[in-house]
Amino acid sequence: MLNKDSFKNPELWLEKHNKNKLVGERPETLPSIPEELWRSCPACRKPSLADAVTDLLEVCPQCGHHFNLSARKRIDITADEGSFIELFTVVGERDVLKFPGYKDKLESAKAASGEEESVICGKCTIGGYETVLCVMEPAFMMGSMGRVTGERITMAFEMAVSSELPVVVFCASGGARMQEGMFSLMQMAKTSGAVKFHSLAGLFYLSVITNPTTGGVTASFAMEGDVIIAEPGALIGFAGPRVIEQTIRQKLPEGFQSAEFVLSKGFLDAVVQRKRLKTFITSMLKAHS
Amino acid sequence: MFRKILVANRGEIAVRIIRACKEMGILTVAVFSTADRDALHVSLADESYCIGGPSVTESYLNMGAVITAAVVTGSEAIHPGYGLLSENSVFAALCDQCNIVFIGPSAESIAMMGDKNEARLAMIKANVPVIPGTEILADPDEAERRACDIGYPILIKARSGGGGRGIRLVKAKDELRRNFQAAAAEAEKAFGDPGLYLEKYLTGVKHIEMQILADKSGNVICLGERDCSAQRRNQKLMEESPSVAIDDAARAELVGITTAAVKSIGYHNAGTIEYLYDGKDGFYFMEMNTRLQVEHPVTEMVTGIDLVQWQIRIAYGLVIPFTQQDIELKGHAIECRINAEDPEHDFRPQCGTIETLHIPGGPGVRFDSAVYRGYSIPPYYDSMIGKLIVHSGSRSEALRKMHAALCELVIGGIAHNADLQRRILKDKRFISGKYDTGLISSMILKPEVRTDVK
Repeated sequence: MLNKDSFKNPELWLEKHNKNKLVGERPETLPSIPEELWRSCPACRKPSLADAVTDLLEVCPQCGHHFNLSARKRIDITADEGSFIELFTVVGERDVLKFPGYKDKLESAKAASGEEESVICGKCTIGGYETVLCVMEPAFMMGSMGRVTGERITMAFEMAVSSELPVVVFCASGGARMQEGMFSLMQMAKTSGAVKFHSLAGLFYLSVITNPTTGGVTASFAMEGDVIIAEPGALIGFAGPRVIEQTIRQKLPEGFQSAEFVLSKGFLDAVVQRKRLKTFITSMLKAHS
Repeated sequence: MFRKILVANRGEIAVRIIRACKEMGILTVAVFSTADRDALHVSLADESYCIGGPSVTESYLNMGAVITAAVVTGSEAIHPGYGLLSENSVFAALCDQCNIVFIGPSAESIAMMGDKNEARLAMIKANVPVIPGTEILADPDEAERRACDIGYPILIKARSGGGGRGIRLVKAKDELRRNFQAAAAEAEKAFGDPGLYLEKYLTGVKHIEMQILADKSGNVICLGERDCSAQRRNQKLMEESPSVAIDDAARAELVGITTAAVKSIGYHNAGTIEYLYDGKDGFYFMEMNTRLQVEHPVTEMVTGIDLVQWQIRIAYGLVIPFTQQDIELKGHAIECRINAEDPEHDFRPQCGTIETLHIPGGPGVRFDSAVYRGYSIPPYYDSMIGKLIVHSGSRSEALRKMHAALCELVIGGIAHNADLQRRILKDKRFISGKYDTGLISSMILKPEVRTDVK
């Protein structure tokens, strides 16, 4: 078998060339990879070209993992260009319980997400259909639902009733915000009531569940849509898998609480890839207009 | 000159590039897949790095791994060879962004010529005759209408196809609709682009291609033609230069058209424009290959110019010191592609260990290959294991030399196509030089060859 030791090194010097006959300047810098060129996937850990990830609307080209999207970015790819008008930007007193460290948490959540609360609500058109759109912000305390979150969603549904509009909600939440105690748990009942009034008015509500959606949000408006869809691989549940494993002292099956698993159990109507989401939502709005 | 170059390829072309670098005093870096640990290019290069699994998407097409290897080893340039990443404009742009010289044309040139529709329009603009055809068509209805104007038989071609892939032949009107829809689905799957156009199907044509070298200062030199009409299913088997079908006047005309076309698109580095020649009316542009080609040695033999070394010098920024007047095709060169596939059994690809190996030699005989005795051919890659090239004063002498060389070639342990190549050499149409792209299919279909096939 031939190997590296089979061959000798010719040890020739670099060929000479006349400097006058050179086009352009040769940079003396060494090859390097600009950091922004590559994105690595948290699921498969493989690097992909940043442009390829962006083209797929923040989906890994290699394993199909859907990266978490900020609420603003989500609105950009969902609402028709320039049609979104933000409403209900109310911010009330949130730290009514004077919960230790909550004020600091809120400040760092604001800094991390650039938002005032964990949901953005407003009015827009999607594929030409006028719609009320609520999008939760996973970077704001993991999209947890406090008093203001619940209030904004409730107001959005109430406005949809008065203007006879459908509602699309993108859910992403760790559940009720524990720092607000009972006040946050109450939002489950309040938002559910608003959804019910909207439903009684004969209006359409589409819930889009994205990664992750758990706790009080799953137990309220996320699962109350007329049509409930999810993005591939999204974690959907009430208690998280680790809590369940520790409680029942059993290993959970592969893919437990994934969108596909939840779909197979009949709690979802469809799992839709991000690239196809806008078309899917448009067709749903068209069917119910 | 570059101090170190990474070779992003495998097989004989990787070896060919490493040899060129060694002669120029340039250090080489080889990359390889887990299936290629024993490959010759790995042993021959100064440094070698494993970049992934056996499938090309994991290794040789893995842009991140290739670029990382170049950065880590401090390689100033990457030579992509042919196939794999050689005509990938995203990769060429990526090299640029990472401060690595891509040895080939600019990313823009690759993208332009890779889009068959855009390439066609650019050639029309440069006054190059093109095959009667259409731009990208929206639906089968439009295709039916336009096909009537052009006339059957007709080819459906994928915008992003090339190298013989993404082409469908339609003989009559009632077959068009079905084929158009199937071709769109196929193209979407294979190239991620369903764009299709129509082109008149020319029969009894010769495949003539012109080799060019262009530097970054705008000099374009045409190194004559290659006749690649000996093809099986759009895959070339045998190439020669010069072509018997082309006289000095026709050659001068082709050189003129080609040089002007290449200048008009601001191209640099090596490239090839492929034409179809119908023997009477003239030449039609088929496509431009923005890379080194498999059959480049026949041009090297008749011109005495080392194409790989010039690719490297041009990429570095050197100006070509010779002119078109200096180019003269001396003698005649023929290349036979030796493929590890069994012509007796429907060209089934072969893998296995090469137990005996004898390579023919003597004056004017060249064998570009990456195989050696004891080497096992992995099943994951192209079946071409070598290229036998001969060069002699005249075509008849070159034919004799090739005959003798093929008879002397011994590759034991696997089936290969050297005997088929000898049959082609003995064919009267080939000997006369008046063969066209239908030559091999007409030979293979002869009943006496297929007696063992049920």
